[in-house]
Amino acid sequence: MVRKFGLIAIAATTVVLAIVSAAAARPTAQAAATASCSKGVSIGMQAPITGPAGSIGSDQLHWALFYVTRWNKTHKLKLHLVQEDTQLDPSKASTTAQALASNASVMGVIGPAGSDEVQAVAPIFRKAGLAFASGSATRVSLTGGAWKGYFFRDVPNDGVQGPTDANYMFSNLGVTSGSSVMVVDDQESYSTGLADIVGQALSGKGVKVDRESVSQKATDFSSLIAKVTSSTKVVFLPFQVASEAQLFAQQLQAQGKTAIAFGSDGTFDSSKFTVNGSYISFFAPDVTTIPVDASIVNAFHKQFPGATSPFGAPNYVLAQMYATAITKACKDGKISRAEVRKDVLKVSLKSTILGGPMRLTANGDVAGAKFHIFKIENGKYVTVA
Amino acid sequence: MNWNLFVTELVSGITHGSVYALIALGYSMVYGILKLLNFAHGDIYMVGSFIGFGLITVSGGATNLGIPVWLLIFLMLFCAMLGGGLLGVMIERFAYRRLRNAPRIAPLITALGVSFFLENAAQLVLGAQYQSYNSFSWKNPIALHGFTLPAQARISYAGVIVIVGTVVLVVGLTLFVQRTQLGKAMRATSFDREAASMMGIDVDHVIVATFFIGSALAGAAGVFNGIAYQQVWPYMGFTAGLYAFIAAVVGGIGSLPGAVLGGLTIGLAQSFSIGYISSTFSDAVVFGILIAVMIVRPSGLLGRAAVSKV
Amino acid sequence: MSTDPTDPNAPRVGVDEWVASHEQRRVERPGLLGVAERILAQVPSPAFYLGFAVAAALLPVVTSNGYVIDVGLNTLLYMLLALGLNITVGYAGLLDLGYVAFYGFAAYGYAMLASPQFGLHWDTLAVIPLVVIATALLGFLVALPSRRLVGDYLAIVTLFFGELFATVYQNGESMTVFGFSRKYDVTGGPNGIPNIDQFHVFGARIGALNYTAYYYVALIFFMVLLFAMYLVDRSRTGRAWRSLREDPLAAELMGMPVNRLKLIAFACGAGIAGIAGTIFAAANTAVFASEFDFTSGLLIIVYAMLILGGAGSLGGVIIGALVVNVSLEVLRDPGHATWVFYTLICATLVARMRPWRWLGAIIAGTAAFGFAVHAIISAAWPRGVHGQAAVGGLLGSGLQHWVALPSNPTMIGNVAFICLVLAVLVLTLLHGWMQKLAMIPTLYLAAFVWENRLVVEPSITRLILVGVILIVLMNARPQGLLGTSRVEIV
Repeated sequence: MVRKFGLIAIAATTVVLAIVSAAAARPTAQAAATASCSKGVSIGMQAPITGPAGSIGSDQLHWALFYVTRWNKTHKLKLHLVQEDTQLDPSKASTTAQALASNASVMGVIGPAGSDEVQAVAPIFRKAGLAFASGSATRVSLTGGAWKGYFFRDVPNDGVQGPTDANYMFSNLGVTSGSSVMVVDDQESYSTGLADIVGQALSGKGVKVDRESVSQKATDFSSLIAKVTSSTKVVFLPFQVASEAQLFAQQLQAQGKTAIAFGSDGTFDSSKFTVNGSYISFFAPDVTTIPVDASIVNAFHKQFPGATSPFGAPNYVLAQMYATAITKACKDGKISRAEVRKDVLKVSLKSTILGGPMRLTANGDVAGAKFHIFKIENGKYVTVA
Repeated sequence: MNWNLFVTELVSGITHGSVYALIALGYSMVYGILKLLNFAHGDIYMVGSFIGFGLITVSGGATNLGIPVWLLIFLMLFCAMLGGGLLGVMIERFAYRRLRNAPRIAPLITALGVSFFLENAAQLVLGAQYQSYNSFSWKNPIALHGFTLPAQARISYAGVIVIVGTVVLVVGLTLFVQRTQLGKAMRATSFDREAASMMGIDVDHVIVATFFIGSALAGAAGVFNGIAYQQVWPYMGFTAGLYAFIAAVVGGIGSLPGAVLGGLTIGLAQSFSIGYISSTFSDAVVFGILIAVMIVRPSGLLGRAAVSKV
Repeated sequence: MSTDPTDPNAPRVGVDEWVASHEQRRVERPGLLGVAERILAQVPSPAFYLGFAVAAALLPVVTSNGYVIDVGLNTLLYMLLALGLNITVGYAGLLDLGYVAFYGFAAYGYAMLASPQFGLHWDTLAVIPLVVIATALLGFLVALPSRRLVGDYLAIVTLFFGELFATVYQNGESMTVFGFSRKYDVTGGPNGIPNIDQFHVFGARIGALNYTAYYYVALIFFMVLLFAMYLVDRSRTGRAWRSLREDPLAAELMGMPVNRLKLIAFACGAGIAGIAGTIFAAANTAVFASEFDFTSGLLIIVYAMLILGGAGSLGGVIIGALVVNVSLEVLRDPGHATWVFYTLICATLVARMRPWRWLGAIIAGTAAFGFAVHAIISAAWPRGVHGQAAVGGLLGSGLQHWVALPSNPTMIGNVAFICLVLAVLVLTLLHGWMQKLAMIPTLYLAAFVWENRLVVEPSITRLILVGVILIVLMNARPQGLLGTSRVEIV
């Protein structure tokens, strides 16, 4: 009973202090840190920073942080990135979305990353009047619906990528009516949506589609590859993790299969997916190969050593779009969430590190979205379509 | 009958099962002595894998190796086993020792705490990115070339190394446990800790040795996984630890041959369910099989039915 | 293993539980604290529960911050889950590793009966009891193998069941019946089930995103169940469960229907998870299978809450859930995390450093050491102090002059982090004046690592800190904050 009382007292005091500080701190933070063009404006960022999808989320965070650090060095209007970790879990995404919504200095949000997270947070951001944008949620139904005017994205959706890939396979890779294609998804919403669209497009042309799936945690595909027959022309891999596609393609070769590996934009990483003879679709030329980008990429690697994933660079552009919109909104000295929302949807950038101009349609999708097909030759990505 | 598919699934299942078996051995050993479910065991496997990757980087990177491949593999195994063993000993000394006499559920949470700590410390220091051993591109690309088996199936050199290495380690462990003094002490301690200490066995010493050997096996499993399956990232230990725990229990907890059998069972069940039933529901099928096994043989495949003395 | 009576870790041989707890009760603190303790010990537990209920009910009155209320709602849901798990683990002693599957089953059950998924929009008063009973039945079914399985084998079967559930629901968007080609979208697959109906009773409907209403609903359910559990605890069934936990063989010999008790424990635990699941589904308006599998960490967090608070103790459920969930949320913000970090270090020093003069000496020594190191580094290697402190204000400018902040801290920070971990471990091995001397550079190193590396990555640091807190708390008090230490009969 003696030690019990002491420990309970300590625990109780800590909890009470924590609750009081949390409850008291946020409202005062609201009052004091109300965004102002002179003191600094915050941009919220939701990403799966830790957890099994940590490689994607920490990369997204680093690219956005990189932009904000560079901006703050050369501009008087200071930006601050408020990061929230969602671990790709929709209920954590909605809790952290509440945190961002209650933070009065947050004028816009980058993220969340997953399509079902976007669905979970959309009502919260809509109620709070915040614009939110994703660099990786590509489910078609997210834009043009109830969240028009609030949600946008700077990557084209599955409705553009799916048919492009299916058509290329049909016209250039020897896939004909009667031949077979294996489509493998990784059981996450990004992957299954794209896999479904491509599978339907191909079977509509009379191709035999073998639909398989692996868990994103799978480390070995040899059991699945054993099912690839000699009449399977292409294996479509809409994975989110490039090294998984690399392993799949390597094990295909090791088992002596002749099927060609075809990855989607999630596998576009010239340092990871390098098996010769494979194909990839992507919405822009590779960030690391555009000459004007080389200096930016080098500076990024200096600040954040380590490889990048294709989901990283779009967040740099999102931060850029928000910065442009915030500057415009601050021209009259006052800023509000509604202003930023309207301005960011009208942002038009002449050139971005993604290799082209960036402009949004009325629905919030990328205007003029087009997917390029790349082939890996001698370890390098070569544009073929 | 598609023999090619059958043999390929068999090979794939045995290779994967060997990695699980090594990790499950460590689980089983620690459980046998301390009745502790060491959730951090999977993270020791992850650290071992990263140690191997570090050695590859230090020797010039996957495409530019400065030393012969056989020497590299030997060094990786040695360093990973040593590093994993030391890490396991440190964890035991600082996180578990005080909880030896606590109710069994308390060290579970400590193990979870250690697991959180290791995974996130690895992400902090090493980055969250997936790294690759890239044994397909080594001077001697052992994951690409290999032997041809009947029915035109193939097994790569890497797969052979994994299976042979596992057999060597398991045989070595069995000889150690059966023939040496320390092994005898370990068996005695897992049977009855109090009686063993009354017989003059230094229980602390035995527990430290158990943790060292179990964790060294996990480190070796990490290197084997890297050689055959390439990928290394901070959260890889989580799932592997879960499967190894399942393997240890299905095989009969506390029984070393049981752990090996359990690992092979899970590997084969996974391969065959992907190949013959459905890749989408393969996990569900594996779990269904395992539930059935547990109901038919409640103390595991090779476990002893526990006799409790009143 | 020693049986030395002065060793606090040794089991007390030959002492039974009643004697041990009686002895503990007789040692009283001198002075005012002892009097306060004596008075508090006479207050019955329900008074504390009522106090908690009043404090919790006041939260939405005190603040209108949506985030705080959302965290409060999550904490209440966790408390409900821990309450249910307490029956299975704390009372009956059965390790259930698939518990979260009941939670998910109930959430999906509510979603299927009250959303556009199948076009059903049943009234809440009908759905909730139906879902709860279905979940309890599921718990009963899962517990059936427990007749043949003991201990960890039952744990494994429940784990399998949990993973089976998550896999089936994650891929349930195109299920076929025995190979017929028509595919049924049962669970929405990875896209989940969206647009779930809110609670509506007799025409009154809770508005979307009205977390306050759900907060009160959860609070009312929790208090009702808490009092029910309190009464059960003191009833025959509660005593039977406790005897089952302590020694199943003896319980069976005394005539307890052991199998029936296990089944009832599982069913009750599952039923409580069912209630929590329906509230979760309605409050979040959408359910996804990925929230209920092992990698989401939900099971781990509920277990941590239960065991930290003390398995088998009702007050422990409340305290455990509060401590763990509030820590997790408070640590999200780097500013708060910094305060928590330094407070914890100071609190540990205060608790362990006796007499007080040593504490003063160490703090003064650390400050002096810090300024000295800072001066040396700024003289020898100027880039070592050019960085920015992460915290603003007075604390920040103080830190700027005390801690060395290199302008490119990542590599150095990583090495320093590893050195810090090793230093802290070595510190626990030393004793006496050597330990106090080694404490000074270790404290400085801790501040250095914090300012340079940890506070820059708040999301990773949060989980590292939680891991360390779990390790330290379980080592300090293995039976949990409010648990009773159990004596082993050798």
